[in-house]
Amino acid sequence: MNLLELRGVSVSFDGFLALNDLNLQLAPGELRAVIGPNGAGKTTFLDVITGKLKPTKGDVLFRGKSLVGQSEHHISRLGIGRKFQTPRVYQNLTPRRNLELAVRGPHGPFDLLFGRLSSEQRDRVQHLLGVVGLESHAAQQSGGLSHGQKQWLEIAMLVAQDPELLLVDEPVAGLTDGETERTGELLRQLAGDHTVLVIEHDMDFIRDLQAPVTVLHEGHVLCEGSMDQVQNDPRVIEVYLGSETQEAP
Amino acid sequence: MADFASSLFSSRNLRRSLPWLVIVVAALVLPAVLPPFRLNLLGRFLSLGIVALGVDLIWGYTGMLSLGQGIFFALGGYALGMYLQLDSLEPGQLPEFFGLYGVKGLPAFWQPFSSPVFTLFAVWVIPALVAGLLGYLVFRNRIKGVYFSILTQAALLVFFNFFNGQQKLINGTNGLKTDTAHIFGILVGSDGMQRNLFWVTVVLVIGAWFLCRWLTTGRFGDALVAIRDDEPRLRFTGYNPTAYKTLVFAVAGALAGVSGALYTVQSGIVSPQFMAVPFSIEMVIWVAVGGRGTLIGAILGAVLINYAKSLISEQLPETWLFIQGGLFLLVVTALPDGLVGWWRQGGPGRLLAMVVLPQRSLTYPALDLDPEVQAEHSQFDTQGSESQGSKGGPR
Repeated sequence: MNLLELRGVSVSFDGFLALNDLNLQLAPGELRAVIGPNGAGKTTFLDVITGKLKPTKGDVLFRGKSLVGQSEHHISRLGIGRKFQTPRVYQNLTPRRNLELAVRGPHGPFDLLFGRLSSEQRDRVQHLLGVVGLESHAAQQSGGLSHGQKQWLEIAMLVAQDPELLLVDEPVAGLTDGETERTGELLRQLAGDHTVLVIEHDMDFIRDLQAPVTVLHEGHVLCEGSMDQVQNDPRVIEVYLGSETQEAP
Repeated sequence: MADFASSLFSSRNLRRSLPWLVIVVAALVLPAVLPPFRLNLLGRFLSLGIVALGVDLIWGYTGMLSLGQGIFFALGGYALGMYLQLDSLEPGQLPEFFGLYGVKGLPAFWQPFSSPVFTLFAVWVIPALVAGLLGYLVFRNRIKGVYFSILTQAALLVFFNFFNGQQKLINGTNGLKTDTAHIFGILVGSDGMQRNLFWVTVVLVIGAWFLCRWLTTGRFGDALVAIRDDEPRLRFTGYNPTAYKTLVFAVAGALAGVSGALYTVQSGIVSPQFMAVPFSIEMVIWVAVGGRGTLIGAILGAVLINYAKSLISEQLPETWLFIQGGLFLLVVTALPDGLVGWWRQGGPGRLLAMVVLPQRSLTYPALDLDPEVQAEHSQFDTQGSESQGSKGGPR
């Protein structure tokens, strides 16, 4: 059974179709890259899955159950985590406290007031701080971190949530080559146990992921396949990859 | 002297604890020193510190600017006011004002307020329930920011007009007097009782501070800050902000109720004026001036501004509104974290350095400005140019 399935999803903003009859399936444990030119509907597509937007038409199924009409926090608790395009960490909290908020566990107000973090949760936070190299910054406010550190902190927050499905929007935007490489490594590690969907503009990064690629264009799936297949597809070349294919072997 | 001053102001611990020191000393010394009238004023303003704590909780920490805290403040005041009206009556009597409007029997909702135990709970539970209900409806519909502020102010006006118009139920515009009532057989308006009420207020302010402190320091407090800074983000992490905001708004309502009750017995009357629009806006100003998100700043702001208001209004009644407006402008433009924030960031030391004492500093420009160093420098320079000159001579 597919973990995630979008069936004929359309989203209309005053008549403009941001998503147009979009169909997509994700198998459990899969790592999938989604690319597409600006305005292809990539972020709208994530908004629909995570409950920020309601599709005008069509259905979104997670483990066979419809997500349409459910609130964001409900969908998140079902096991869908999201990393945003621009890093969104809580600037006035330390990285440790950011992670402690995100870490998987009960999230009601009384749980936070009267419950304490289990030693397991605290270990998880400590471990993740180490993974993203923020141990020495754990006690300073996150607003003072560099762009790359914020990106990594947000990825760590996503992992702390331990969702079944990770939706990762432009994880390597503004990162150095070294950081990009480590991010790719991290995402590949996560796939298998988790299902990961990555939206990215960086073609080299996508190629290094060695993941099947879905190309979006004008709110519709243009084609799917490996990076090489996609790059040689004439329709893709036409809308998007024209200059890129000349570089490819 | 300069050393002493700068070490005094740079000591982080002192900076944090001094506001507390001031409060504790004030609470111990002032009752012995102040005449009853001044002490009563202080007690009143201290009780306003509790409603200000609630404002800090919802605005400073959670980012919800409520301009309607007067509703809950007045509800607490009325709850206690009604009890005091009934408490000093002979059996079968009605509060005096009912006679004016030809009311023969006690309205049903007055009945439970003859019980002191019920009243003790009603003072904070009723405002908390009203706040919780209002909050839930607003937050569930994701009304935020300016719209939330406008809505709370509109609600305030609705309550204000309703209470004003209900002569037969709660004496309308005239309000309920408490001065002539008795608690434990002692006249509420008497000096002795007012002194006791001052102590009760001190204890409750400290208790309220500890409650707010507990709410804001742990993960719950982090969640509040997260709601303030990026509420949608928190939703995607599996949190339901509506629950948090409703809870914290209800707590602020309860605090406002306690504050209103204490204010009522210390000023001798509760009236719909407690729900006047400017009063609720002033509450926000106290917190802004004292320092948002600092808790202690809310208490200090409430006491200082109100005390200044009463002192200045006695001398120059017309000027207070200008001063208050000026204070608000000053805070918005120059002290975004209020007086307490300014204090904690070492503001007094900087100000002192600007006016009289040079600041002790290890930075190069500051060293450069030191007269002794400058003297040595000029000596060095002349020597240098001399030696250079002598070397350069033969060339």
